[in-house]
Amino acid sequence: MPRSARTTAALIVVVALLALLPFVGGDYYIYLFALVFINVILAASLRPSLSCGQLNIGHSAFMCIGAYTSALLAKDLGVPFELSLLGGAVLAAAVGLGIGYPSLRLRGVYFAMVTVAFVEAVRLIASIWVPLTRGNAGLSGVPKPSILGMTLTTKTSQYYLGLVLMLVVLVILGKLERSRLGLVWKSIGLADNLAQSLGVNIANYKLLAFTLGCFFAGVAGAFYAHFIRFLFPPEFGFLLATNILIYNFVGGRGHFAGPIVGAVFLSLLSEPFRGSAYETIFYSIVMLLTILFLPGGLITLPGKLAGLRWWKSAAAESPSPAA
Amino acid sequence: MVEERRGGEPEPGRVSSRLLLETQGLTRYFGGLAAVDHVDLTVSEGEIVGLIGPNGAGKTTCFNLLSGFIRPTAGTIRFDGDDITRLRPHQVVRRGLVRTFQLTTLFQEMTALENVLLGLHLHSKKGLGQVLFSRRTYPPEEVARSREVLDFAGLSTHADQLARNLPHGHQRALGIAMALAARPRLLLLDEPVTGMNLDESGRVMALVKTIRDRGTTILLVEHNMKAVMGTCERIVVLNFGQKLAEGTPADVSTNASVIEAYLGAGLAHA
Repeated sequence: MPRSARTTAALIVVVALLALLPFVGGDYYIYLFALVFINVILAASLRPSLSCGQLNIGHSAFMCIGAYTSALLAKDLGVPFELSLLGGAVLAAAVGLGIGYPSLRLRGVYFAMVTVAFVEAVRLIASIWVPLTRGNAGLSGVPKPSILGMTLTTKTSQYYLGLVLMLVVLVILGKLERSRLGLVWKSIGLADNLAQSLGVNIANYKLLAFTLGCFFAGVAGAFYAHFIRFLFPPEFGFLLATNILIYNFVGGRGHFAGPIVGAVFLSLLSEPFRGSAYETIFYSIVMLLTILFLPGGLITLPGKLAGLRWWKSAAAESPSPAA
Repeated sequence: MVEERRGGEPEPGRVSSRLLLETQGLTRYFGGLAAVDHVDLTVSEGEIVGLIGPNGAGKTTCFNLLSGFIRPTAGTIRFDGDDITRLRPHQVVRRGLVRTFQLTTLFQEMTALENVLLGLHLHSKKGLGQVLFSRRTYPPEEVARSREVLDFAGLSTHADQLARNLPHGHQRALGIAMALAARPRLLLLDEPVTGMNLDESGRVMALVKTIRDRGTTILLVEHNMKAVMGTCERIVVLNFGQKLAEGTPADVSTNASVIEAYLGAGLAHA
């Protein structure tokens, strides 16, 4: 079976299993996997910017903007979910454009510092602007999501909404990655001076990657807001931003599947520690282990294991010199 | 051979008198140091011009100025009559002035074909809509054109290899192929044969001549004197950022101040 057909078959199986999950798992698993979907969207949406060589340590800020915008639009103005989600995503993208335009000319660590400052600024605004966001008391009573006027009252239906949102976002990002646009992004990350010398306006392409990432982070935030129905500013701080980055590095930066694998693996494995100090320790240790032993990320693991097996069998087959 | 050609009239149809590139008083300071100091450089359509000079003479800075990677402190650059002094790199390329880089600056983690496809970037007319809704990743005509360019550079059998796995000589040829895909009118080659053996450098220099014969003007920086003398019709010598001499390979190689710059003042005076 050709490689692409095998991949397609595997994808269909995975999607089918996810679609069947609510029938076998209880509410806990539905809740857990919906959060995994959000993390997958966040991780995958950071990838275009990362492949341009931009270290964005502030992605959660755009999720926060999407979450609060959508929640407030729905709660205070009664805007239907589809529109409030779009509004959150568009505002996140617009703010991304505003932040990205001046700062994407900065390279490496300087750009990273801007994003760190920005994520803290957004978190503080959410904490301090009490009349709008209810501050650190938290914004509660966010309406449940609805589709075409039908409110999705059960967690199961909201789970399917999350699954569909994730699949749509992944299909779009995957298409872009395999297009010429993806090739240009990758080229900027590999050698930006060479890309420039071939006529690539690298500033525009970086800005496009960044803004697009912010848009989808806004989508993730909006879904989060209507699924959890309670927003609390510290949730969107620096810690979440680094986690999104870690999903990309631990999963592997060499392939589109990298951030997806990283987000699924780490979200599920860190579940016992969620919300406690151990979560940070767990992420740090996994990150260190990955850098030390799997620099290419988890997606390179099957290849490495296959290499190991081949080496073992080759050693077993060849007669030892002593015999 | 070169002397014969340049002794009389330029070969008809090859070197026209039309100026393609012209710099006036081109100057760039780094702090208090003039890396390029009032250089007037001209390249006519159809020429192969060599830019040489000892290490630190300002050759690479010159290239960076011409291609828009750094801005001059003073002076102007005109390309085909238009002032391009303040343009950014990607805008310079759009005018038809394309450069290559020293050593092996390639997209190492991409295949040779993908590298050349990026060279075609400028000429691609695919919009975002087509990107999202077409089934094919690259339009067949772009792939076909890229294969043509690879074939021309002698790389057709290496199209699907990662750039980093290619032998040194092939990597250099790939760098030139990418620049060619951008359809240059003037090609700036930065040390195209440095680090190559005689056989490899001969092949690249033959390629350079073929590129010129197909209508692309060439300005190259190179340390390999044999390659420069054998290929270029006119040579400009830089030293300490200033133009020291200019002329045919024969003129330049017998010029006393050029010999002094290369061998050192002490030796010349001794």
